[in-house]
Formats: sequence, structure tokens, C-alpha cells
Amino acid sequence: MKRSTDPRRNILKREPAKLVTRIGLAVIFLLGALMAYMGIRGQNEFSASGFSSERAYQAIYALSGQVSDAWKNSVQPDLNALTEQERALLDSTMADLLRDAWENQNAGAGEEAARLAAEGGERKGEITGKLLYTTYLVNGPKVSTSDRKELLGAKDGKALRLQLLQCMIDESLPLPKEAASLAEGLTGKERQAMLLQAFFVSGGSAGSDLTDNVNSLKKSVRGKEHQLTAFRMIARSEVSWGWQLLVSNSSTAVLLGIILMLDMVLLTLLMMAEKTWIVDFKWIMILLIVDFLLLFQLFPSVYMLIRAFFPEGTFSLSTMQRLYTYSMNLEALKNTLIAAFATMILGTAIAFPLAWLVGRTDLYGKKFFRSLFILTYMVPPYVGAMAWLRLMNPNVGTINQWLRVIFRLSDAPGPLNAYTLPGMIWVLTTFYYPYAFITISRAMEKMDPSLEEASRISGASPVKTLLTVTLPMMTPSLIAGALLVFISAASCYGIPSIIGIPGNVNTVTTRIVEYVGQGQTGMNDATGLAVFLMVVALLILFVSDVLLAKRQYITVSGKSVRPAIVELRSWRIPMTILVSLFAVIVVVLPFVTILTTSFKVDIGKSVFDASNFTTTNWTSVFARAETIGCLKNSLIFAAVSATVGLVIACVMSYLLQRTRVRGRSIPNFLITLGSGTPSVVIALGLIMTMRGNFGINIYNTAYILIAAYLVKYLMMGMRTVVSAMSQIHVSLEECSQVSGASWLTTMRRITGPLIFPSIAAGWFLIFIPSFYELSMTTLLYSSTTKTIGLQLYEYWTLTSQPMSCAMAFGILLIVVFLNFILNRLTRGEFSI
Amino acid sequence: MATVTIQHVTKSFGDNVVLREFNETFQEGEFVTLLGPSGCGKTTMLRIIAGFERPTTGELYIGDQLVSGGKTFIPPEKRNIGMVFQSYAVWPHMNVFDNVAYPLTIKKTPKNTIREQVERVLDIVHLSQYAQRLPNQLSGGQQQRVALARALVAAPELLLLDEPLSNLDAKLRESMRFEIKEIQKKTGITVVYVTHDQAEAMAMSDRIFVINRGVVQQSGTPDEIYNHPANQFVADFLGKVDFFKGEVRDGRIYLEGMGGQSIAYDGPRTGRVDVAIRPENIIFSAEGELKGVLETQYYLGDVDDCRVRVGDSLMRVITNGYEHRFLHEGQEIRLAIRESMVFEDDGLLEDILKIRT
Ligand SMILES: Nc1ncnc2c1ncn2[C@@H]1O[C@H](COP(=O)(O)OP(=O)(O)O)[C@@H](O)[C@H]1O
Ligand SMILES: [Mg+2]
Repeated sequence: MKRSTDPRRNILKREPAKLVTRIGLAVIFLLGALMAYMGIRGQNEFSASGFSSERAYQAIYALSGQVSDAWKNSVQPDLNALTEQERALLDSTMADLLRDAWENQNAGAGEEAARLAAEGGERKGEITGKLLYTTYLVNGPKVSTSDRKELLGAKDGKALRLQLLQCMIDESLPLPKEAASLAEGLTGKERQAMLLQAFFVSGGSAGSDLTDNVNSLKKSVRGKEHQLTAFRMIARSEVSWGWQLLVSNSSTAVLLGIILMLDMVLLTLLMMAEKTWIVDFKWIMILLIVDFLLLFQLFPSVYMLIRAFFPEGTFSLSTMQRLYTYSMNLEALKNTLIAAFATMILGTAIAFPLAWLVGRTDLYGKKFFRSLFILTYMVPPYVGAMAWLRLMNPNVGTINQWLRVIFRLSDAPGPLNAYTLPGMIWVLTTFYYPYAFITISRAMEKMDPSLEEASRISGASPVKTLLTVTLPMMTPSLIAGALLVFISAASCYGIPSIIGIPGNVNTVTTRIVEYVGQGQTGMNDATGLAVFLMVVALLILFVSDVLLAKRQYITVSGKSVRPAIVELRSWRIPMTILVSLFAVIVVVLPFVTILTTSFKVDIGKSVFDASNFTTTNWTSVFARAETIGCLKNSLIFAAVSATVGLVIACVMSYLLQRTRVRGRSIPNFLITLGSGTPSVVIALGLIMTMRGNFGINIYNTAYILIAAYLVKYLMMGMRTVVSAMSQIHVSLEECSQVSGASWLTTMRRITGPLIFPSIAAGWFLIFIPSFYELSMTTLLYSSTTKTIGLQLYEYWTLTSQPMSCAMAFGILLIVVFLNFILNRLTRGEFSI
Repeated sequence: MATVTIQHVTKSFGDNVVLREFNETFQEGEFVTLLGPSGCGKTTMLRIIAGFERPTTGELYIGDQLVSGGKTFIPPEKRNIGMVFQSYAVWPHMNVFDNVAYPLTIKKTPKNTIREQVERVLDIVHLSQYAQRLPNQLSGGQQQRVALARALVAAPELLLLDEPLSNLDAKLRESMRFEIKEIQKKTGITVVYVTHDQAEAMAMSDRIFVINRGVVQQSGTPDEIYNHPANQFVADFLGKVDFFKGEVRDGRIYLEGMGGQSIAYDGPRTGRVDVAIRPENIIFSAEGELKGVLETQYYLGDVDDCRVRVGDSLMRVITNGYEHRFLHEGQEIRLAIRESMVFEDDGLLEDILKIRT
């Protein structure tokens, strides 16, 4: 036996790698554990030593006079038990609170304040100061400039200046500039504290000159001064903000620690399964992707579920009970279910015959119709809704005007009204039937045509064949398509927000967004409703991906499948006319409406009326710096999402198609799950977990939007690249490697060029929906991260419909243009 | 049972002419095979007969009835034909019984007649005990027989089979050949069978049509086709054959590249010719006309597959395996040609060889 082939030698050679890796894994794991432990200890230490936040909060609440006496009495022992230090803190915090109370004309609180000011002890100056400023605050706008100057120049020290500053940067006073200059006059800790407070008060959107400083301040939040400030904010019921900053450092440690631990466990399991102990680049990639998905997708969803059922940390169905017995929510629930169900039935009923006519018959202009119907797929839903509102507005809707003329109706509103549940169902249908159309067409194309031919030769007519063979065979795809329509309609926000809100037709999504708008308390309620959507979505995902996938009859025969074309004969022309009519109503009419409306002065009149044509809508919308800013934001966010998404997609498809790495299905599963989760749910989960309370604070930044887009749309890009990769037989790559090319060269020279069209397609598939996204953006934007979709929505609801139509058509043009580029880049292989 | 008459049928898809001037009659009760390489238009012809394609020009009669041609077109469901598809096309959402009963159900046959008929054909294809199974619980061969039963159950006058055995493994393929032939004999049905497998065609057919690029090259019994091919293509397509260029002079053919050696010839051709010789028609014999050296031999047990160098050319000789023990490589040897096929040198051979390599 030759020495070099002695198996024992090989094992010996590998032994050190194995050992090093194992030790490394263990060390990192322990490091993670240590970090987590320190983090948790830090949090506990904080609440144990300085201040009992819970107690202080209760006390403040009690003193504010806003609660019942019974409750006040119940916390009295707590108050009495406060330490000296706590007492002092509480006093000053209370002054804040009293100021608020005073502002709100709470007489009881006023008295309390006076008493406090009288016996204020060593903090008397500060407390008096506060009360003084309250006067200033209440009369703020009325105080003359000279008076204000005098106040500012007052010699009684820093406390006064500080408090004044606090008043000025209050959101109710339009004095950010003065506040900023005042802040200049302060130094050191006070300045920091005030800036931080400015940050709190403005909800994180303080003037940019302040924000920059604030970001660095957040790091030092554990300083005493900042603790104080934070507690004040807690007292002002900005609980989440204050609390978040207080614990943010230790939370980050906990989070990082936990992630490290999880990663190491996962890596160890994977390596054990693979029987290799060499750390490979692909392991790192998997871990990074899994981390991303765990953090931004799974964790928020799970947290929401927990919050819904454990609202105060203990199991309770009270939130649920309250939510689901409230008539407005019940109504919304009912509307959502009815709308989604009706859209599903209607959409599928339209999509199936359409898919059959376009895919399997000799209808005239099949290819054209096909592209036209798929085109709707890339139009933002709210644009469709806007168009249909223009068409079916009860008073000035174009279709209504026509109908009145044709049927000689009176000038009373109607006969159609978009601002109703049926109106909404119709718009949802026109928007979501393409989902079923695409699913069904695809299945029809894949079906072995001889299955139908066998039926024909057995004596069945084309119609009989359609009913007894085609339809039953298509059932699983049909159901999958229908379910997709159902969940898309149920979780749609763009259409209900534009049609439903003015028409008072609430849906679960509009209710959720409304609850979120109510701040802290609304958040719990939003969660309760979101859980409903989430459960429905997961159920549907399970049914269509697990149950139906097993029952797929579609047999792809080895030979090239050339679908059998049914001759329509005498039906050919009538059917073509019917399909054209449908296309005109559902696709052409809305687009034309948007276009004409964008040139109107008075939306009630025809655009051809001499005095009714104007281009100012266009010029004024696109001349605004704000529009351009939003457009830029949208393009950047979408481009970043698409690029990051595509890197993940490429890695994933490599893992899925080219390796046998165990665990490669974990990220795949998570990505599928993410795309199946309703947008509103994703956004809500991110809001609740990404504001620093768990160590990551990307709230109000572009990152949170990008994370949301990625979670939702990653799947689209991934699927495209994966299927392209599966088409390239691995032997092509192996052949290149055998020819002496390195892995990288192979990727660059062989695999890359071959899948380039799909990569481009995947990029656009993430880019386009991210570009015009609305549902998630509505919940996640801040003043600096507004997007074009949001801007359009605001224009529609607040400013002018013609102007928003100009913007909508602009968006459409951009999307069509992108699609054109895609088509060119991929030599016609792909378009959406 | 029906005859099938095909008159001047041409079929093109766009510019691509797939069938050219098809002009044949299939007799009642005949087992006809369309044989040809993949892509030659066999399936297209079968689909024209079935009514899934319309001929571009020409007419098609089943029995006396015009079914395709001119303005007339009778759709497949009215042609009373049974058909077996290459992919079986057994409906996955119906069990075996329902699959087979389908043609009768469509005809609104009474329930108990259906039961009887289905049981009868299931018995013929040996599937009686599988009636309640779903297709995905059956093997490929069983699905194949379901398809056959379904094609037979309505007692059609004509049965079309499109490469029905190509997806089966070798053993099963051979036994199914036999079964299909038996069923045809029993029912006396007219069968049009499409295959690219010459052994299959030889074993089953009454008459074989050899097709190349949409043109029928020859029709005849297996014996005629194999032993008297009409041209080089047919000779090449059926069985093994070696081609040699040669020239007819003085009642002999002088073969090129064989150092001026020649073989006897008493046929009508003159001038330049293509000579096709089947390896099994060459024997080692002391009286042989050709002289050569045995270069290699592949002993396969039943036969011995030899290469003999004659002049500059190699000749393949397949001889009885028994002779292996008397032969050794490098041996000088004489070859006798028992039978050869001689064609006019019209350039067709170059065409064929170009495709083959
Ligand atoms: N529906 C069609 N459209 C265009 N070309 C076709 C169609 N059906 C068959 N063909 C072409 O006709 C030729 C013959 O096909 P076919 O009859 O299936 O060959 P085979 O002899 O292998 O069964 C092939 O080149 C094929 O590409
Ligand atoms: Mg074929």
C-alpha cells in the first residue's frame, strides 16, 4: 500500500483543522454568551441601582391628577418608599409633568405645582424656573420679541436658560432656530442633555443641525444627566423613546451576543451534518443571510405575535377581545374578508378563461393581450385605484357621465359609486386578476398537451375536454392562483386607503395604519389586528406551498411541449372582440383616465373643453424640490434594495442549485415566508422591534425601509435567478473547471454571462415594486425618507387630484421605461 | 375495420416542409409502421390522421369518408380512432377504471355496458386487478397498458400508436411488442404504428414505410425493406451496413481503396456505384474473392465482430461466435460476400454519411 493513500494519514492531516475550528466555534460562542450576559446584567443593574423606573412612572402618573384616587392610593406606598435621590429626581420630573398638566388646564395639577414650587428645597430654583417657562410656553406665540429677549437675557442662571430652551424646542413652538442658537450658549453636559431632549421631543426629527449631535449623544446615554432627561421624557409619556435610549447599549450587547451564539450553534450543526470542519466562505454567506432574515423578518413577526397575546408581559386575551368586539374593527374584518373573497372568485373567474383563450386557442393578437394583461402586474395598485375613482366617482366619474347620457338618467349621483365595498372589490379585481392569470397561464403552458388530445381522440369535444380534463388537472394551480389573489387583496393597503377611507369602507390594513398613527397605545391594537392578517397569510402559504405542491399534476414531458391550439372557428372573432373589450376597460381606460386627468383644470369637465386643458399640473409637480427629493429617495432605496437583494439571490441560488450544503433550505424557507407576509405586518413588526428597544435603532432611517423592501421582495429576485441557474447544467461549469479555470473565472466567464439576463430581471423585479411601494413606506417613513409613492398618496388625499395624476403617470412612465431597459438588456428574454 | 387513404398530403409549418406528397393506402386489418429518424415527420403524419393537424394540401380518407382535405375537416373526436401517445397521457386525476371508461362515458354508454367493456379490455392488457389504482401508483409499463386499453375500449376501427414503447426499459419493450401484436391479431384492427426503432418495426409490421425528411423512401414488408432496400438511406437505416464506392467493369465491381480488388456482379448497373454490404453477409472462406488481414475482433459470445483490413479499407465482418477460436489478430484471411446491395452513385450516400457523423 502506498503511503500517500493511507486513509489514516488523511485523517491525521485534517485533525488540526478540525480542532482549530471547534475551538474557534466554542470561543465565539462563549464570547456571545458573555456579551449577552453582560448586556442583561447591565440592564438589571441599571434598573436596580439608580432609579426604579416602574415605580417612578407610576408615581408621576399618580401625581398628574389624571388617574383615579384609588389608583393614586395604591401607589402611595411606592411613593413613600422612594429614596432621597429618587425623590429629587421625581420632583424635577414632576415639574415637567405639572407643566404639561398646566398647559392642559388641569387645575389640580396647577395646585400641586404651586405646592411643589413653594417647598422645592434645594431644587427650588430649577422648579421655579420650570413653572416660569410654563407661563412663557403657554403664551409662547403671544410673547413679544422684546419680552422674549429680556427673558433670554435674564441673569438668573443656567437653569432658566435650560428650561427656556426646552420650551423652545417643544414641537408646539416654531422656534428651532432660536433653540439651536441657545444651545450654542450652553456647554458640556447641559448642552448634551438639551440636544437629547430636543431629539426626544421632536420624535427623532429635530432640525438636522441638532440631529447630528444627537446621534453621538445616544451613545453616552448612560450618563446621569441623560438618564434624567430620558426619565423626563418617560414622564411625558414618550415612554418608548426614553426607554429605548436608556437601555439601548446593553440591548445591543444582548442582541449581538444572542446572534453570535445562534450562529455558532447553527454552524456547528451544519458542519456536523456535512462532516467537514473547514470553515468555508459559503458558511459565512449562509450565516449572514440567515442573520439578516432572523433579525429583520422572523424576530419582528414573532415579537408581534407575542405582544398580541402577552400585551403586558403576561398572557391575556383582553387586547384581542377588545379589538375584535369593537364594531369598527368587526366591520373592517368583515369588509376585508368579503372583499378578498369576492376578488378571489371574480379574479379567478376572469383569469382562467383569459389564460385559456390567450394560451391555448387561436385568438387573434394573443401575444399582445398576454403582455397587456401582465403589464397590469407592474402598475402600483394605488394608481389603479385613482383611475377608477376618476371613472366611477358618483358625481363626476367619467363612466357615470357616459351612463347617464346613454340611459338618459337624471343628473343625480350614480349609477356607479367607487366609494363602496363593491367599488373596491372591482378595483381590487382589476388589479389582482393578473396574479391568477400568470399562475394559471404558467401551469397551462407546462401541461402535457397529449393529455387533452387523448380526450379529444376518445370522442370528447373541445369544451368537454376543457371541463373534464383541463380544468380538473389545473385545479391545484387554480387554487394556488386564487389563494394568491385572496391574500394579496386582503393585505392590500394602497387601494383601500384611496377608495375605502374616503368612502368609509375600512379594512384591516387601513385600521392597522390608523392605529399605528395613534402612537404608543395604538401600537398594541395594531398588533392585534396584524396578527389576524399574518395568520391568514401563513395559512395560505402553507396550503399552497405544502399541500397543493404535492398534488401538482402538471407533468412536464421530456419532449418539447408545444401546447395544442384549439381552433375557435366561428367563435374566433366574437372572442377576440370580447377580450379586446375587457382589455380596453381594465387596462386602457384607467391609463387614459390618469393621463387626461393630469391635464385638466376642472376634473369634472372633459379635457377637450377649450379652457380645461393645462400643463401646469405637470410643471408644478415636477418643478417642486420636494417631488424631486422623493423621487431621488425612491430611486436610491429601490436601487440599494435591489442590489443587496440580488447579491443574496445569487448566493442563494448558488447554494440551492450547486451545493448539497445542508441547511441551505433554511434561508430559502425564510425568504418564502417573508414574501408571503403581508406588507403592513412586516412594517409593523419592524417598527416595534427596530427602534432601539432591542439594540438596533434604524427607526426613521432609510435602512428600515430597505430592510422592509428586502424582506418583502427578495423572493421575486431569488426565484428568477434560481430558475436560471437550474437551467444551466452543472456540467457546463465542470467542463470549464476541468479546462483549468478557477471557480471565479468559471463564474465570470461561463455562469455569469449565461444567467446575466435573469440577474438583470431579478434586479428589476426587486427594484420596481420597491420603487413605488406604499403600504410599508406609509408606516416606516420619516420626514427625510419620504418616497414618491407616499408623496403621490399625499397629493391625492391632500392637494390636487390632477396633480397627483401627473405624478402617477410619471411613475408609470418610469416603470414602463425600466421595463423597456430590462427587455433590451436581456435581449427580449425578460420583461415583467 | 377501416382503410386509410392518403392522397398527395403535404404538410408545412411556416416555411418548414415537414411532409412532402404522401400518397399511400393502408389496408384493412394491416399493421403499418412509419419508420424513420427522429424529426422526419412521422408524428406529424400520425397527427394528421388523428385530426390534430390539418394537411397543408391533399386529402385523407378513413374508410370511404373524406376526413381532411379541401374544406372538409372532421375533428378528432368524430373520427372513431384509438390512439396511444408517447407520453401515455394517462389522466392523473382519474383512476385506471375511469381512464379506460372515458371514451365510453363520453358516448353515454349505459353503465353496465361500460363496466363489461372496461373489464374486457383491462383483461386483455392484464390490468384487471389495478382498476381502482391511480396512475401515479402504476409503473411505466402499466401506465402504457392503461393507455392501450383506453385506446381499444370503444372498439375503434383504427389504432394509432406514437412510439408507445420508447419510454420503457428494454425487457419490457420486447414483451410489449409481442402483446400489442397479439391484440392486433385478435381484434383485426388496422394499426398505424410510429417508431424510430427498426427492430420494433421489423418484429411487428405487415408493412413498413421508411420515411426520411418528410418523404417516403420505401414501403414494403420487413423482408423487402431489409433485403431489397430502395436506396442507400433505407439500407443504412435498417440493420448494420458498410458502404463502399466502386465501379462496374466487365461484370465485376472494382472497389475503391481495396488495392484494385473486385467482387463479382451480375446486376444491371454500370459505371460508378455505391455498394452496401451487411457485416453478417460476409463470411471467412478460403475461396473468398477478397484478401485481407484480420485487424481486431470483439468477441461477444454469440457473435464475433471483426474488422478486416482490405487494401486501405476496413471491412466489418460479423461472424458466428463459434469461429472465434480459429481466428487470431494479424491473420491473413479471405472474405466471400454472400450478398451485396448495389446503388447508383447519385450523391445520396454523401448526404447520409454527412448526417451520420
Ligand atoms: N406544431 C409545429 N410547429 C412547427 N414545427 C413543427 C410542429 N410540429 C412538428 N414540427 C416540426 O416538424 C418536424 C417533424 O416533426 P415530427 O413529426 O414530430 O417528427 P418525428 O418523426 O420525430 O415524430 C420537426 O422538425 C418539427 O420541429
Ligand atoms: Mg415523434
